[in-house]
Amino acid sequence: MQLAVNIAVLASIYALICCGYVLIYRVSRVLSLAHGELMMLGAYGLYVTASLFSGQPLVALAAAGALALLVGIAVYVALIWRMTGESVLAAVLATIALGILLRGAMLVAFGTQTQYPLRDLGWQNVSLPLGSASVSAVGIALVASTALVYGALFAFLHGTRWGMRMRAAGQNPLLAAQRGIRLHGVYALAWGLATFTGGLAGMLIASDAGIESTLAVIGLKAFPAALVGGLDSLVGALVGSLVVASAEVLLIHYVDPLLSEVVPFFVLLAMLVVRPWGLFGTREELDRV
Amino acid sequence: MNGTARITCAAALALFSQASAAQDAYVVGWTAAMTGPQAGILAPVVEMAGAYVNHLNSRGGINGKPVRLIVQDDQGEPSRAAANAKKLIGQDKVSLMLITSVSSTFAPVVAETRRAGVPLYFAGAVCPKETLPPADPLQFCSTAFGATLDSQAALAFIGKNSKEPVRLGLAAMAIPISRGEIDYAEGLANKLGMTAVEKQITPPPTPDYTPFATKLKDANPNWVWAWSPWFSQVRTYEAMRRIGWTGRYLTWAHLNAEEELERIKDPGFYVIGTNALFQDNLPIQAEIRAVAARANVKYPTTYLTEGYIVGLVLETALRGAGWPPTPAKAAAAMSKLKVDLKGLRGGPLEWTKDNHFRTRQYYRVWHWDAAKGAVVRVQDWQAIEVKR
Repeated sequence: MQLAVNIAVLASIYALICCGYVLIYRVSRVLSLAHGELMMLGAYGLYVTASLFSGQPLVALAAAGALALLVGIAVYVALIWRMTGESVLAAVLATIALGILLRGAMLVAFGTQTQYPLRDLGWQNVSLPLGSASVSAVGIALVASTALVYGALFAFLHGTRWGMRMRAAGQNPLLAAQRGIRLHGVYALAWGLATFTGGLAGMLIASDAGIESTLAVIGLKAFPAALVGGLDSLVGALVGSLVVASAEVLLIHYVDPLLSEVVPFFVLLAMLVVRPWGLFGTREELDRV
Repeated sequence: MNGTARITCAAALALFSQASAAQDAYVVGWTAAMTGPQAGILAPVVEMAGAYVNHLNSRGGINGKPVRLIVQDDQGEPSRAAANAKKLIGQDKVSLMLITSVSSTFAPVVAETRRAGVPLYFAGAVCPKETLPPADPLQFCSTAFGATLDSQAALAFIGKNSKEPVRLGLAAMAIPISRGEIDYAEGLANKLGMTAVEKQITPPPTPDYTPFATKLKDANPNWVWAWSPWFSQVRTYEAMRRIGWTGRYLTWAHLNAEEELERIKDPGFYVIGTNALFQDNLPIQAEIRAVAARANVKYPTTYLTEGYIVGLVLETALRGAGWPPTPAKAAAAMSKLKVDLKGLRGGPLEWTKDNHFRTRQYYRVWHWDAAKGAVVRVQDWQAIEVKR
């Protein structure tokens, strides 16, 4: 039972992070390699709002979420928009530069000390029994947030006008533009949502373990899960996260904990050999990559 | 004068003034991980030692000459550390090199300093075995933790404080120094009649420690000994508690231990270390506070003992080297050095011709006392002789 709980929590972490990779790639074909840093910035956002709205944890959480959304939109407007007309590779390189810049800026602004936003919110990460297993409150929040985020995204993409525009822009930007869809607005929204979900993952991981400088690297650790599922599929991101998390947890328990570092990449390699476009990815999309 | 000539003159002037300043000062080079994943426990050492040197210079320096510290950030990357060492030795002509970085940066810096005959002082970084007897003539170390000695002290404490047979869990991080220590502890535990029931090695960035903690908990240890960077030690412990483990956890007291004991507030969580905590309120700790405040050091005072010790050692070594300093004179002074640490550790720090670590290592253990609502000492200084 404990193993099942561990898989669910780890898969939720990966799925929440992957969501951002998929949203941006699906809509604009850009692979954001600054996602880990944006995730870490989201965690620092919560640390700041927890201090600003001391004693009002829900307000602090909402403010941190809104801040993450705005940061994503700002990144698009200030940087990615300027890459319009350039090759996709140039945009990817721009995200690498952005990541380095953000890492340096966060170091200057927040130093190297570990910060604990959950403590600043006045909450504790208590342990809760779940059958014969135990799960932390943050673990439950992770699973619930992932379910909520994916549910909301499916509803948004399939049931709203903006969601439909986003899908149209992803499928054929030229045709979408000719039909009057404002592509920059759609792309900015995709960046905003991706940074919001990544920031949420950062906030939850930081609530469990504090904000460490390794948080940005965890963002990259989830990347194989996105590729295994298919880089342009949200369902794929969910399934890929579950596959990678299951392999990781089971190998830690039954074989060797050291394998946890390599197993996501081993699963990824196996997938690339058998089905390079991922479990739910589109073959045509991968050919373009 | 045209622009190019002006720039050339300015550059020549800058070089000349730098060379003059170097001749009038004790020049010490320092490659350090001021940024990067381990900066949280390494950068405070450099900042505090820098504050100490400023304080020293404000009192007239050494033998009437100021000390000039040149700190170069290596971000914990071997290539940057090598470039720093080359620049500091070749260009800045330092008499002494310090390193406060991760162990992967050591090899290139050791190679550079060895080639130039410059003594290398590991200050807050892991002490390499070359500083232990029989020591390399050019390598020195004052860092609190010491491989193998720490496990000896830790397991002795566990043995003394266990009424029931010890079922020992071991936790390390997937870096050579941490794994080596925990492997050593596993062998030592068996020799001491303890049962090493499980050993968990976590990778450096891991989003969730629970899968590792689950395996450790399932082996049902009544004690766990962890020796790795702080975040790895404490995350494994916290994950074990959350899945219901009730045993006792002993771990190394890094710079942030005092602050963390107060955050965690668990009587079953112990830290073992060689630096006194600030709860002792020693006169020298008041001095550390004052020096740090004057220099506007941004870290909590409880993080600064290690850096202050580096400052004390540096002052003693440079005084011993006399004026003008040379690398050979600095190395000779460091090979017969004794620094009174005024209670910051259990005894003085002493380097001899073949022991550049310390002749005796002293350990204390602390935990959170729920009844008193405070961090309390559960073992006073216990000495281990450092022998060949």
